[in-house]
Amino acid sequence: MGSGRWSTDVYDAAARYRAATGTGAFAYTDTGATHVHPDLDPYGVTVRESRDSAEHPRSLAIAVLFDVTGSMRNVPRTLQAKLPQLLGLLLRKGYADDPQIMFGAIGDATCDRAPLQVGQFESDNRMDDDLSRILLEGGGGGQKTESYELAMYFMARRTATDCYAKRGKRGYLFLIGDEMAYPRVKRAEVGAVIGDGLQDDIPLADIVAELTRKWDTYYILPEGASYAGDAEVLRFWRGLLGQNVIELADLGAVTETIAVTVGLGEDAISLYDGLTDLDDVGSDAGPAVSRALATIGSGRGALISVALDDLDSPDGDGNIRL
Amino acid sequence: MSARAAGDHVIVVDLGYGDAGKGSVVDWLCARPGRGSVLATRPRTVVRFNGGAQAAHNVITSDGRHHAFAQFGSGTFTPDVRTHLSRFVLVDPLALAAEAAHLASVGVGDALDRLTVDRDALITTPYHRLANQARERARGAARHGSCGMGIGETANYALEHPDDAPRVGDCAEPRRLTDRLALLRDWLMAEFDADARSSVPPVADVSATFAAFADRVRLVGSEHLSRLLHAGPAVFEGAQGVLLDEWHGFHPYTTWSTTTFANAETLLAEADQAGERLGVIRCYMTRHGPGPLVTEDPTLELPDPHNGWGPWQGSFRVGHFDAVAVRYAIEVAGGVDSIALTHLDVAGQHPLLICDGYVIDGQRIGRLAVGRDRDLVRQEQMTNLLLRARPVCHDPGSDWPAAVANALGSPVTVMSYGPTMGDKAAVTAPATRA
Repeated sequence: MGSGRWSTDVYDAAARYRAATGTGAFAYTDTGATHVHPDLDPYGVTVRESRDSAEHPRSLAIAVLFDVTGSMRNVPRTLQAKLPQLLGLLLRKGYADDPQIMFGAIGDATCDRAPLQVGQFESDNRMDDDLSRILLEGGGGGQKTESYELAMYFMARRTATDCYAKRGKRGYLFLIGDEMAYPRVKRAEVGAVIGDGLQDDIPLADIVAELTRKWDTYYILPEGASYAGDAEVLRFWRGLLGQNVIELADLGAVTETIAVTVGLGEDAISLYDGLTDLDDVGSDAGPAVSRALATIGSGRGALISVALDDLDSPDGDGNIRL
Repeated sequence: MSARAAGDHVIVVDLGYGDAGKGSVVDWLCARPGRGSVLATRPRTVVRFNGGAQAAHNVITSDGRHHAFAQFGSGTFTPDVRTHLSRFVLVDPLALAAEAAHLASVGVGDALDRLTVDRDALITTPYHRLANQARERARGAARHGSCGMGIGETANYALEHPDDAPRVGDCAEPRRLTDRLALLRDWLMAEFDADARSSVPPVADVSATFAAFADRVRLVGSEHLSRLLHAGPAVFEGAQGVLLDEWHGFHPYTTWSTTTFANAETLLAEADQAGERLGVIRCYMTRHGPGPLVTEDPTLELPDPHNGWGPWQGSFRVGHFDAVAVRYAIEVAGGVDSIALTHLDVAGQHPLLICDGYVIDGQRIGRLAVGRDRDLVRQEQMTNLLLRARPVCHDPGSDWPAAVANALGSPVTVMSYGPTMGDKAAVTAPATRA
């Protein structure tokens, strides 16, 4: 028992709640938070779901996870400011019918307090709340590796999307970062960060294979990060994801790049259309996107054949695919 | 996620009159790495299951920061520990804002972000509080030792008006909230004295503040707790003490709350889970305000920096360890799995005794029998007997844990020698009954 030592003044309380309602893009980090926001904590998450609804009958899952470790310098803050435009861009231009977007962040499970942060799939601007709650820890080690594999594990095993389950259509996953993944999904880290009990570590190639069955996965290496243009990093990701590796020369164009990539994948546009669209909305990101997407645009035949291979592969989950 | 067995969760309950040190025990449970005799894995959730903002669970960090936890779980200093206020909690959004502000001032800026509140929980409002204070003033010297926070009024109003009592979920529905607040204010106005009447805030202002609370804090349905419990171990942090229980305490010097394991076990059962029952008790008895304290000894000069004199409660009283009363508490609570014994540092420095029996009207009493549920007439008779009781004490020597385990018939598994978590130890081979 105590003696009511906390003030119960009604006006103080109102002011305090309003002051504490973070609406700025960097709200959560700027409160001095030192741990992953509970809404983004992957620990104990059964599954993050992207589901059809009456309002959004043909949902398309799109996930964007970015590296928030120190090597990324100011890039994560720029991403927090830019990415809220993604939904509007996709809808305005008709690149996707019912996009459901999830934002998340990647750190280093060997030393960070927030090695993985995952929001919810949302069809309206609630996903921006998740974006503002991402903790920009700025940690990580100095060995050019971060825990991308842990994020890939989560996306492979702890997401459920109607686009895939009902229509056999993969969602889009964008990993934005400048370093490499660790060679194995470590059993102990999965237990500590996600709460899953694994028998053994999972080799990186195995988790990538599992992931890309459900997710059309892209890696974006942005300008402005420590390892921008790094040949070793690019080689590493091309080895895992083929041509789905995008070097982004203008960070300001990150949202457009993602949107046009989705539009290309959805057959909604040609690369030419996408770049024209960008001009129409007054974006000056055209040339940067063009350069970034050159390989993807030209390699679309290859992308489709990957998708078809995937359809033939047995996966045992009993879903009927298109 | 698989179902979890008993022992994955722990319920922490005070076996005395409150102030046993639940806060520091919960802090310690949440902060230390896994492996130990109480929980296999470090818990990341604290669930509150009784009482309200009147709780004051003191936690002092190893670097000297102090917070008296009222509505936030006492594990909040550990960065990834979240608090869930279950439907059994009487939520006070005003005090919550002030508490969050203080936590921010001691380095915990995200306490509100780590909080979830059940929409079915009752809300304590300024109107309840004013009515409570007016009533205690009217009682004068016969006051009950109420905290003056409006807890009793909140519970009482909800009993009499179950469909109109404001609940947490109403805060997100402005019209319903305003209606319910207006009803409540009008009903309580009759209770107010002139003092209270002069400071009644308008419904619109209270309503606006509660709406701001709903905007800021994550309100959840009952399924949320079940998800949390399946995700990992939780600590259920009880408020007050079993000897203050509304039905089994010493009526009328009790609280409006079930202070046993019962509510926690109801919540666990709903999630198909179970928990270990940890009873917390000091090496001596303490009590705020009036009511039986058989072993009271005003000559004991015991230090207690955080329990001064509350304006609504009366003085802070101390007495020797009362094994009769604590055994009664254990029986009321339906038994404990183990005991956390706190303030052992004080026991080493002061001439503290253990009381193992009472003399009442010339008769020797070693056990207080537990009465039927909800029989307040009998509880009041018990109170009257206790007010005439004289303690029979002995000196336990230096091995307090063994002496207490022996007196209570329960193992002592956690020992605390000071306020910070560094002063605590888990006993791997618990002190048990000799």
